[in-house]
Amino acid sequence: MAGALGAGGVAAYALRRLVALVPLVFGVTAITFALLVLAPGDPVTFLIPPEQRGAADLAAMRHELGLDRPLPLQYVSMMRDLVTGRLRSFGDRRPTLARVGEALPVTLILTAASMALTVTLAIPIALVAALRPYSVLDHGATLFSLLGISLPSFWFGLGLIYVFTAQLAWLPASGIRPTGAAGYNPSLIAPYLIMPTIVQALSILPVMVRYARSSLLDQLAQEYVRVARSKGLLERTILFKHIARNALLPVVTITALLVPFLLSGSVVVETTFALPGLGQLAVNAALARDYPIVLTTTAIAGVLVVAGNLAADIGYFYLDPRIRDG
Amino acid sequence: MDSRAPSVPERGPRPGRRGPGHRFARNPRALAGAALLVMFFGIALAAPRLAPYPADAPHLLATLHPPDRAYLLGTDNLGRDILSRILAASRVTLAIGILSMLVSLVAGILVGAVAGYAGGQIDAALMRLTDVVLAVPVFFLTVAFLALFGPSIPGLIGIIGLTAWPPTARLVRAEVLALRHRDFVSAATAVGASGGRIVVRHLLPNVVAVIAISATLRVGLAILTEAGLSFLGLGVQPPAPSWGNIIADGRAYLGIAWWVSCFPGLCIFLAVMAFNLVGDGLRDAFDPRLVV
Repeated sequence: MAGALGAGGVAAYALRRLVALVPLVFGVTAITFALLVLAPGDPVTFLIPPEQRGAADLAAMRHELGLDRPLPLQYVSMMRDLVTGRLRSFGDRRPTLARVGEALPVTLILTAASMALTVTLAIPIALVAALRPYSVLDHGATLFSLLGISLPSFWFGLGLIYVFTAQLAWLPASGIRPTGAAGYNPSLIAPYLIMPTIVQALSILPVMVRYARSSLLDQLAQEYVRVARSKGLLERTILFKHIARNALLPVVTITALLVPFLLSGSVVVETTFALPGLGQLAVNAALARDYPIVLTTTAIAGVLVVAGNLAADIGYFYLDPRIRDG
Repeated sequence: MDSRAPSVPERGPRPGRRGPGHRFARNPRALAGAALLVMFFGIALAAPRLAPYPADAPHLLATLHPPDRAYLLGTDNLGRDILSRILAASRVTLAIGILSMLVSLVAGILVGAVAGYAGGQIDAALMRLTDVVLAVPVFFLTVAFLALFGPSIPGLIGIIGLTAWPPTARLVRAEVLALRHRDFVSAATAVGASGGRIVVRHLLPNVVAVIAISATLRVGLAILTEAGLSFLGLGVQPPAPSWGNIIADGRAYLGIAWWVSCFPGLCIFLAVMAFNLVGDGLRDAFDPRLVV
């Protein structure tokens, strides 16, 4: 049964989930639009560069941008202008989508690396904590989590820069690649990503450990584990063959839920390490009052969250036979 | 309520005859957090008396002065005393943290109580709204808000509060749903109490514990958010000091004057940890199984 569904099955499933996520895309972009409408002042001043705002053609520009139409239509035309590249940066006049497109790979690489590091660390920590609950190790993990969630990421980042750049001169403190280089050659960009990845991973590690630990504890208390033990199966077999898959499901969910958190964190972390990603683009645009860029980054960050949700849904598809075969 | 039979003992002290207050008082980590909180509030209240110098007084002959007897925590690039600035900033930071928590609490209770009590389509609509706000990368939205509306302290309190309510709303809704069909609610309905009165007088008092725990943890998060925004230049605007913007001031001098960025960051860390310790302590004291 499972074999009969293959790629077609997952494609159909992904499409179904994508349709279900449409309201979320609408929601996040509508919130962005609502900000623009509610902000004090004429929305036209947020979309037209200051020197082009001659009184004579302001009405024409309002018309061209669709701002003289009812709100729902304004929303539609703003989204259209965004997608077609008509919305341009106040700074260099290039379409906002092009600027976001340049910044996006940096944020995606940072997010993926942080997520990978977090999962790699969280699962062994949670396993140790769950197998020996209330032991010294478990309490240590709890204390570590507490430290992790209380630590301001930019301060921790500056601390790393102080030690590994200012004192030891081991790692570069800013940028994504050496000056003059281009592209995302892993060996070139890796040194630039080490510190930001650690900072991002530490910010979500406590949440991930807590979820994985309680999920493992839940599974360990299940009837089927007792049955497997009474059959005399090796503890290792029970853990990896029986428990792992069930315990992983909530971990996949939390991974998707942590995507918005990581993206939010990237705003601060990218600025701390001067990484030219989406977060730094948003902050610099906000400081420079480059509103079209601010609006586009917010909308695109929302779309990324939806993509994260979709990825989790697909992960579920492979992990949970009830979805796959049902 | 809990169909899983835990063969593993639940975390926290065993619920005994004594009340939550007693359990809280016997939890060393909660007490440490409470002591830290008392210290921070004391410092904030007494800040003008404790500060050795005015927060924005430049000592031009002592710029980037390392910590010593005259300047206990050193000075920044303009020769302003870091200790005095940290003390002044503690008031701003705690005020923003607590006020934005109150905003998120009011919004969360309102949405959660209405959704849980009204049910049906109102519940579905409010929960969908909650899902959307939870899914938004909040920091991008906050940055957009502060760019469009301009950074101000009321604006900071508003946007931090209004992006942080969904978890509280979910908790309150879940509690209200669990209580809605209990006998005391039916009794109140039977004697003709209105929906609003039932929610305010009968349901909310029963969810006070959950609200208190959530509120304490929210303050810590709000302080972190404010510090991050001030660090980015979008929060508290200089020359007014905030722990976050003092760290930003010191960033350019990290290699030669570590003390500028180090001490305010330590304050953020300890203050946030204090709220987290107290929040966790309250959770363990009331009901260790709560997921807040």
